[in-house]
Amino acid sequence: MLENTIINSVIAVIATVLVCFIISTFLPGIERKYIHARIQQRIGPKVVAPGIMAPIKFMFKENVEVSSPVPGLYKSLPIICFIVVLCIFLALTPEAYMIPALASLVAIVGFLKVEEICYVLMGALSKSVMSVNMPFPDQIKGAVHNNATRSFIEDISAKRSLRMITYGSFPLYLALFAPVTAARSVFLKDIVAFQQVNGPFLFTVAGGIAAIVFFIGYMIILNEYPFSIIKAKSDVIEGPYMEYAAKYRAVVVLTRGFFMFTLGAVFSVLFIGVPPTILSWGILVNVAVALIFVFMMGIFSAFSPVFTNRQLLPTILGATLLGILSIVLGLL
Amino acid sequence: MDEKVPRSEIIETEIPLGTVHPAALEPYRVRLFVEDEIVQEAEITIGVNHRGVERIMEGLPVEKANALTEKICGICSNAHIWNSCRTAELGLGIEIPERAKFIRVIMGELERLHSHFLYLAHGCEVLSHETFSMRVFYMREIVMELLAMIGGNRVQYGCSVLGGVRPRCDLDEAKLLRLKNDMDALEEGLTGFVDRFMADSILLSRVTGIGVLPQNQAIELAVTGPTLRATGVARDLRTTMFEYDDFDFNVITQPDGDVKSNLVMRALESFESIKIIRQAIANIPEGKVVNRDWEMFDTDISESYIEVPRGTLYHSYALESGRVRHSIIRTPSMANIGAMQYACIGDQITDAQLCIVQCDPCFTCTDRAIEIIRR
Repeated sequence: MLENTIINSVIAVIATVLVCFIISTFLPGIERKYIHARIQQRIGPKVVAPGIMAPIKFMFKENVEVSSPVPGLYKSLPIICFIVVLCIFLALTPEAYMIPALASLVAIVGFLKVEEICYVLMGALSKSVMSVNMPFPDQIKGAVHNNATRSFIEDISAKRSLRMITYGSFPLYLALFAPVTAARSVFLKDIVAFQQVNGPFLFTVAGGIAAIVFFIGYMIILNEYPFSIIKAKSDVIEGPYMEYAAKYRAVVVLTRGFFMFTLGAVFSVLFIGVPPTILSWGILVNVAVALIFVFMMGIFSAFSPVFTNRQLLPTILGATLLGILSIVLGLL
Repeated sequence: MDEKVPRSEIIETEIPLGTVHPAALEPYRVRLFVEDEIVQEAEITIGVNHRGVERIMEGLPVEKANALTEKICGICSNAHIWNSCRTAELGLGIEIPERAKFIRVIMGELERLHSHFLYLAHGCEVLSHETFSMRVFYMREIVMELLAMIGGNRVQYGCSVLGGVRPRCDLDEAKLLRLKNDMDALEEGLTGFVDRFMADSILLSRVTGIGVLPQNQAIELAVTGPTLRATGVARDLRTTMFEYDDFDFNVITQPDGDVKSNLVMRALESFESIKIIRQAIANIPEGKVVNRDWEMFDTDISESYIEVPRGTLYHSYALESGRVRHSIIRTPSMANIGAMQYACIGDQITDAQLCIVQCDPCFTCTDRAIEIIRR
């Protein structure tokens, strides 16, 4: 009996992951085709191109050896990121609630921190040809300042990622902990149970404010415009991802789509009380939330320039204050 | 606005960018000397796109040399062939038919619109505002189609020839009507764009006070064109060009010399270009478009300066047995490189490309000068 339960649970989790992963591969295409392209009055790519066809294409490309001091670690980071996102998703499924250490907000925050640290490492380990390594004879020409340390543009990206860890992701974490103030527990099981009894946290004042903060944090952690300073095209180009090609690029693309869906599922669990599981129609709520977030993010990013530190700091400060307000309201 | 962040003596970090960079339309190397992401010094180096156009022109028949000058630039190609023809015409004393003058002005102003729209679109793209960038590109498309209608191509129109314009570029009633209608559409589109741009506080926060080039610095660096006018100096060579004698237009200036001033400057100047084209459509005289009644003889070096979309363009050469000698071409970006370097100072690295783009560089045109070092 127990064996059957475990097997059924495992099958349910695998099926949920597979279904959600397949849906997540459409999200980048939906964003680009139906939001960015429509707003910009152009046809845009096929909806399957950015999230599905591009990774398949990358898989069959010849890999270019990365320019990195630790190539093995650098190449493994996208896979680590994917595993981290998968772990977050697994933690959200009802079957994981039997393992409280995994199905808790502390674990989710920890996984998200690992994801962020991966960006720092990627930036620090990438040494592309786009800056110092470009074979250009500028050093022999001299300069006004000859003693300055020559830095790769990815180094800037690594420093920015570090800054984003220290203050940039505050809004997201504050929003994640806002439902805790209502449920009085960091365990997802309790948060879901609380909302099934008392209604979604989203429909409270504290929940509404926290949802706004969550959305800002969602855009920040996804490095989407206007918060894409760690990979701003105007200076650091692709930033941490610069050296990834072929199958590693495919993993990066797939991870991004899955991360978008997973963050939507985090919102569904924490703010609506509906965990992702194939065994319930509630999974449609997860899909709907993921789509709504993608639509909103697409609209915001289409009408925003990339923020520099001048705009980023006040925005994050404002979102952080809102997050604190939502927690205070939740406690009251 | 005149105050910049004081330059430090010791710089922590140098960040070289390029020569290949997605925010740059052309190949150039920029070395940024930064402290805590603030640019303290910038050095721009070009030279990877040298084609030796002036050297190739040496000894070519003047008609062929004129056609070659059009290949210098993909944006202001018409300006080069116009000025090259103008150089020979001044040297040989060739009279230009009035109708040809008007057509040259129309082409010049259409090219200015095309260049300014490209500038606005590229500026928005560097700001990572793709939506606005796309919208400007749509407006630019109208201009490109008009240029193709008159010249037969979207670039490299071959409009000017010695003595006037190519007969294929003559404007009949249908073409004039289309020009007129499209100017209305352009004006409406541009007005809408400017209104939206100026109402977008986030966008304005990215461009206001960024890349400031003070007026005295601009004059000291011999900056030219809209980049100079964006610092408040009302200097536009069109006011002295005989082709523009029959046209009434304003020289637009902006006070601050920052990215916002430069963007607004180009937008307002585009309205003036539309105004000039409308006057040309309304008053274009009848008659022939090219004067074939001239004789070739040897000339001393003749020079011609015209105002092109990016500033002052200089062509000079002598003629010997109908062939070009001692050709020199100086494009506006040559004078503006100093401004680009200066504009970066005191701003974030993220704004560095924007500060360079605000000076509307065209390094591919500029990349013909060679420095000869005698040892």
